Amino acid sequence: MSMLQQGETPTVSDALPLDEEGAVEQQTRANRRFRVPGWLGILWENRKSRVGLVMLAIFLIVAVFAPLFSPHDPRSNDFAPNLDPGSGHLLGTTTKGEDIFSQLVYGARTSLIVGVVGGLLATAIALVIGLTAGYLGGTVNEVLTFFINLALVVPILPLIALLSAYAPGQGLWVVILIIGLTGWASGARLKKAQILTLRSRDYITAAVFAGEGLWQVIFREIMPNMISLVVVGFMGSAMGAIGAEAGLAFLGFGNPETISWGTMSYWANNQGALVTGQWAWLLAPGLALSFLIMALTLVNFGVDALGNPQLREE
Amino acid sequence: MSLLAVDQLDVTYLTRKRPPVQAVRGVSLTIGPGEFVGLVGESGSGKSTLGNATIRLLSRPGEITGGTVSFNGQDITALGEDRLRPMRWRDISTVFQSSMNSLNPVMPIEAQFRDAIQAHSRASNGQVRKRVAELLTMVDIDPSFMRFYPHELSGGMKQRVALALALALEPKFVLLDEPTTGLDVVVQRAILERLRVIQREQEFAVLLISHDLGSVLEFSDRVLVMYAGEIVEEQAAADMLRHPRHPYSRGLLGSYASPTAKTIAITYIPGRPPDLSKPHQGCLFAPRCVDAIPLCRMKAPELLPLGDGLVACHVAKMRAEAGQLPEQQGRSWRTQAAGAVFTKHTVAKDPTGAEDILRFEGVSKLYTRRRGFKTTLVQAVDDVSFVLSKGHVTALVGQSGSGKSTIAKLVTGIERPDSGEISFGDLRVDRLGRRGLRDFRKHIQMVFQDPYSALNPAHTVLSTLMRPLINHKGMSRGQAQSRALELLETVGLTPPERFGQRHPHQLSGGQRQRIVIARALAPEPAIIIADEPISSLDVSIRAEILELLDGLVREQGIAMLYITHDLLSARLLADDIIVLNEGKVVEAGRAEDVIANPQHAYTQLLLRSIPNPFVEETAAD
Repeated sequence: MSMLQQGETPTVSDALPLDEEGAVEQQTRANRRFRVPGWLGILWENRKSRVGLVMLAIFLIVAVFAPLFSPHDPRSNDFAPNLDPGSGHLLGTTTKGEDIFSQLVYGARTSLIVGVVGGLLATAIALVIGLTAGYLGGTVNEVLTFFINLALVVPILPLIALLSAYAPGQGLWVVILIIGLTGWASGARLKKAQILTLRSRDYITAAVFAGEGLWQVIFREIMPNMISLVVVGFMGSAMGAIGAEAGLAFLGFGNPETISWGTMSYWANNQGALVTGQWAWLLAPGLALSFLIMALTLVNFGVDALGNPQLREE
Repeated sequence: MSLLAVDQLDVTYLTRKRPPVQAVRGVSLTIGPGEFVGLVGESGSGKSTLGNATIRLLSRPGEITGGTVSFNGQDITALGEDRLRPMRWRDISTVFQSSMNSLNPVMPIEAQFRDAIQAHSRASNGQVRKRVAELLTMVDIDPSFMRFYPHELSGGMKQRVALALALALEPKFVLLDEPTTGLDVVVQRAILERLRVIQREQEFAVLLISHDLGSVLEFSDRVLVMYAGEIVEEQAAADMLRHPRHPYSRGLLGSYASPTAKTIAITYIPGRPPDLSKPHQGCLFAPRCVDAIPLCRMKAPELLPLGDGLVACHVAKMRAEAGQLPEQQGRSWRTQAAGAVFTKHTVAKDPTGAEDILRFEGVSKLYTRRRGFKTTLVQAVDDVSFVLSKGHVTALVGQSGSGKSTIAKLVTGIERPDSGEISFGDLRVDRLGRRGLRDFRKHIQMVFQDPYSALNPAHTVLSTLMRPLINHKGMSRGQAQSRALELLETVGLTPPERFGQRHPHQLSGGQRQRIVIARALAPEPAIIIADEPISSLDVSIRAEILELLDGLVREQGIAMLYITHDLLSARLLADDIIVLNEGKVVEAGRAEDVIANPQHAYTQLLLRSIPNPFVEETAAD
């Protein structure tokens, strides 16, 4: 009987099966593929999310290069009013003689800005409040939970309407700020629930023993494990913000000077677009809004893999 | 006629993005009525997949891709769910490791039994209650507990309830998949012993799946050993114990030893099971086998009759043909172990020579629990004293609830004692504030029980190891990185560059535990608290981790507090043993003395509960 390595410690890798090399190679190849676009590649893996990304990219390009896509100045009312779609104007003109298609293109800008900034603001507030409440627990949790619950039960849209009516100034940024400040509650609650399950893991204790401070533990150790939740939360807040802005504008609480899909619908409704047969005026902003929200929803399907390295390989 | 017959069964996991994994390949087995069969293998050997396939409980993406399963003469390989449903629970039932968590938390115990019983019979509520009382008594639980909700029972009791539930309809066949893993040794033994008695009385057949060959051998009539999706050996339990023929079985058996011996040698099997999604040639165990001959790498051995059992090994077959019966080798196979050996001699060390690192003096801790109007006091730690000294391992042994974990919290400063002193040099640990505690953690580190939850899945190994170096040692990123690579080498993960880039899910349990140990070593602590560092690892690799810890403690002069419920591992690693029961020290002393000559009844109970298939043999010697 051969006695190999009697008494000496074979290191683990000595005895690893040969196929281990292959696994490593696969891994580096995967790394290389992911490195260039980073998180984008992970989202791209998922079919639904790919469709959403393409749609979102179209909206983004249109918004950024709005002057290139719009045939006319959206504010110019030099055209004949109430033109039907097609007659030199793709979607016709408004009762004031503005080009509807140009307004639609510039409206994408407004909606995306509101979505991104409002969503970021709401997510940031939700993160700080949710994570602090969940990780620290105790009295801090009790107090913060009280405010979360308070913010949850207050009906948001009337509150926003009220705030924007009293806000000093009427600009778009005021609207964004109000939306951001009112839309964080459900996100905070979700994040708190998640952190409660994560904070009892051994690796959190291990991080404390590794000398990590409070914010390092929260943002370095816990956050990466809930990144998918954060991204989903951001998408939700962005959708909410876009919808809220449109809703406010439609109800007439927005800044009528702004060109957004909401103000378009507001004017269309206000000027009796249906009565005058201007269906495109009413339909186009609504459809654009639904497609943007749909794009975000589709992207959400791929988000799970972001926070879970294991999911990326399966 | 056999009750359960599996013939040439193949199970494949078909996933979309990865190549198919053949988790079970060409397995045949039969189980007769009333027979108690054990199925043993490491994690990843396919034993649970095989178990689930035999009772048609495979879930996607696992699929039976070949062979047949018949139960009671009926082919159930492709039987529809509608026809399987009446058979389940009544004819075939099962208990898993997590079965205790499958109890419905919002229903009292009795209601859960009633659901199961009335789904298959027309028993009245009164009859059900009588039956539940009978069943609970059978698993040693007082019938009055049937009014309780699951959260009011301990883990061991819940698992007993799960067992009673599985037996409620007097099935003919019960699949037990790691039914006691994760429970205390004492509870494990009690449940298995009880199960064996009930099984003899009611004469149902059992397939017991476990990674713990020791307990399987003690309780089964016949044992199947599985490796990489194939059965490699099948023998009656008594024969397997006397002459295991396959090198893998020998390797698994090498993990057991009598803790009372003067010199203890336990072995482990280095390496990992092969990746079953890749094509392979020859014997799958050959890369890890010390007996492998060139033939093994070329031709896969078949499972052939040898002696009274079946073995798939070229070398075992050749030996048998040459007339070298294992019986003639006597017990020599145990010293000529298959794998690497970790030997612990009884060396007379001078305990007074070592420098004291931490003193724990007369410490008590009382917890107050309020429930409704009642307040209960729990004396978690009661006047406990000990000293941790440089280069020494002190083992804290006891069941769950004995106060071990509270002591760990007190030592690390997470909890403060009600009375007594904990001093680290001149530093009073029990009086440290927030800031002081953070500084203290440079000197004290932890090794956790579950390597799967102790590593952050979002970080690579390297970035996990660099954090303590940057925080405690004030290193720059570059310095920390090169030191982290050295640490990987220290814990035997080479080449370190390769392991450093991996995420935890790309590592095996043993490798993860090595990373956890490397992280604990990073700040060059004076004390390491190891809280059950091997109990969630496969038996076959436990010795490997023990050996690593042992070497590191001695070389680097670290004082270690080793917390465990397992006296054998305490004997292997520790210089001193403290036995703890209900917060009190019942026995303490040098490891050899405590084990060789246990004074307290509780120590004797713990000692008896260690799975040791050789116990009769040792007694006979």
